[in-house]
Amino acid sequence: MIPLLLLLLFLGGCEKLETVFVEEDLLQRPPAKRCSDCHADIYREWKKSRHFHAWTSERFRIETENYAKVKCLACHAPHQVDPGRKPELRAEFREDGVSCVACHFKEETKSMHGPLKVWSPPHPSKQDLSYTKSSFCASCHRETYKEWKLAKVERSCQSCHMPSLGKRDLIQKFPFHLFHLAKPRTSHEFPSLKARPEDVEVRLEPGKIVLTNVGVPHNLPTADQGDPKLYLLAEVIYSDGRRKKVRKILSPQSKTALAYREPREIRIPPGEVKEVRVKLLRRLAWSEEKELIKEITLRTPSP
Amino acid sequence: MKAKALIAVLSLSGILFSADKVILKKPPESLKKFYPPASQKFEFLSNMYSMSTAFYGINLNINEGNWKGAKEWALKLKKTYIETSKMVPEWKDYFKPKLADNLVKAVESKSVDKVIEASKKLGQTCAKCHADNQVAVKLVYHFPSFDNIKIEDPVEFMELETGKYMKKLTNSLKALKVYLTQGNVEAAQEAGANFIERARQLRSMCSKCHTNKLSEEVIVGKEFEGHLNKLEELLSAQKPNREEIFKTLGSIGMSCSRCHNVHLIPALVQEAFKK
Repeated sequence: MIPLLLLLLFLGGCEKLETVFVEEDLLQRPPAKRCSDCHADIYREWKKSRHFHAWTSERFRIETENYAKVKCLACHAPHQVDPGRKPELRAEFREDGVSCVACHFKEETKSMHGPLKVWSPPHPSKQDLSYTKSSFCASCHRETYKEWKLAKVERSCQSCHMPSLGKRDLIQKFPFHLFHLAKPRTSHEFPSLKARPEDVEVRLEPGKIVLTNVGVPHNLPTADQGDPKLYLLAEVIYSDGRRKKVRKILSPQSKTALAYREPREIRIPPGEVKEVRVKLLRRLAWSEEKELIKEITLRTPSP
Repeated sequence: MKAKALIAVLSLSGILFSADKVILKKPPESLKKFYPPASQKFEFLSNMYSMSTAFYGINLNINEGNWKGAKEWALKLKKTYIETSKMVPEWKDYFKPKLADNLVKAVESKSVDKVIEASKKLGQTCAKCHADNQVAVKLVYHFPSFDNIKIEDPVEFMELETGKYMKKLTNSLKALKVYLTQGNVEAAQEAGANFIERARQLRSMCSKCHTNKLSEEVIVGKEFEGHLNKLEELLSAQKPNREEIFKTLGSIGMSCSRCHNVHLIPALVQEAFKK
């Protein structure tokens, strides 16, 4: 193989060599599976992500009345994702959801864009640093982006939802993997992270429980149109032995989600409170499961 | 003469009907395929607009002495009328294609009187169908169904259909009023807290369709939230002010009315047709 490559270099120069290896169908918006021919690891990660399920999610199908609510569709099968611009609905391979080409292929340059500078004979590539910025995600996740801007933190969307995997090979196909050194790579699983117990501060004040999102730099929970929820279950125990239950749903759709560092007061029924047992759970938009975030018993301080 | 033609054509091609009672007939099944979710193109409605425009096109051109232009619109009207007559088999008897052809001939004759007569007869077929069906079609097909909309009850943490959720919401409101009237403060506070939580959660139901949030803001926005906060505060007092609470409930009720005025009648009609 190497003598052959040297011969080709000699005969045609580097530019011609690039065109020799171009695989034309890669510039015709192929399905995601095609990208896995080389980028097998990234493809495997993406298949575990919500971006992969964006179109085929059963909940999405039901909520859109079998894809009849057209205004919802573009972000679930975008043609081309550009920072800050709402995408158009893709015509082909919608079942791929937020696919490889949707994010990486640009019509304007007919090449694959990404945050790294790479030499990629099968398709032209361009380094594009917009991929490292939160505004890239804002084309669909607009509400979350606004919340993140208000939080005024340095961490980008990618810092948490595309965590670094260290240096890894971008491709796993012979012979191309031989031409590349491992590069810094981030996860394409796009994890929907769960708040840690310390991310939500819970205090007891006279007549109320005060919740503050101190760790997640956007609303908790957050969504543009999905309906994730936080559940607050509190049992209030009074000095005279009475017990009362307080239940709350906090959600983006009811405008009750916890904004970053903004205390939320939850009233408790009046009386002399001895202690309050609080449980905070979450439910993701596409899941039925309620997961515990925090459990705490709050006591009224002794006078 | 021009004025005569104008008035005649306008009044006959419109949707004018009057009655001392309106009977709603269930729209035929075959109409379904021309409305969401089956189709986003509203083909049947689109044809109605095309025919209405064509009628006006005839009128406009005759008034301007452009008989050639009027004929073009008359031919368009005839084509769409015939096409529409085949779209909903259950309604085929409303259509009289011969009358559409007569209108074309009347325009060709360049006789205003003949055009008025032909328009009148053709317009009557439109008016009859509209009188029988238009209201029901509007209520069934122009308002998305609540069938697939579920809302999670923040008190019992259960997903409920819209109707059942509304029942729980109003029952907690009624319980608040009953306990308050009876002077059972603790029970009123509990019922009131449940009502407030359920009312707050309504917004998540609106957002299933109203994705741009504007109409949501009008009905369950800041003003509504302000009234709920006030109610919460009034109820937390050791001796809640009954008069103020009822007044606040009245303000909250305004939001209920705004939404019901738009959505309740179509929802009731849709439900009735399903039974």
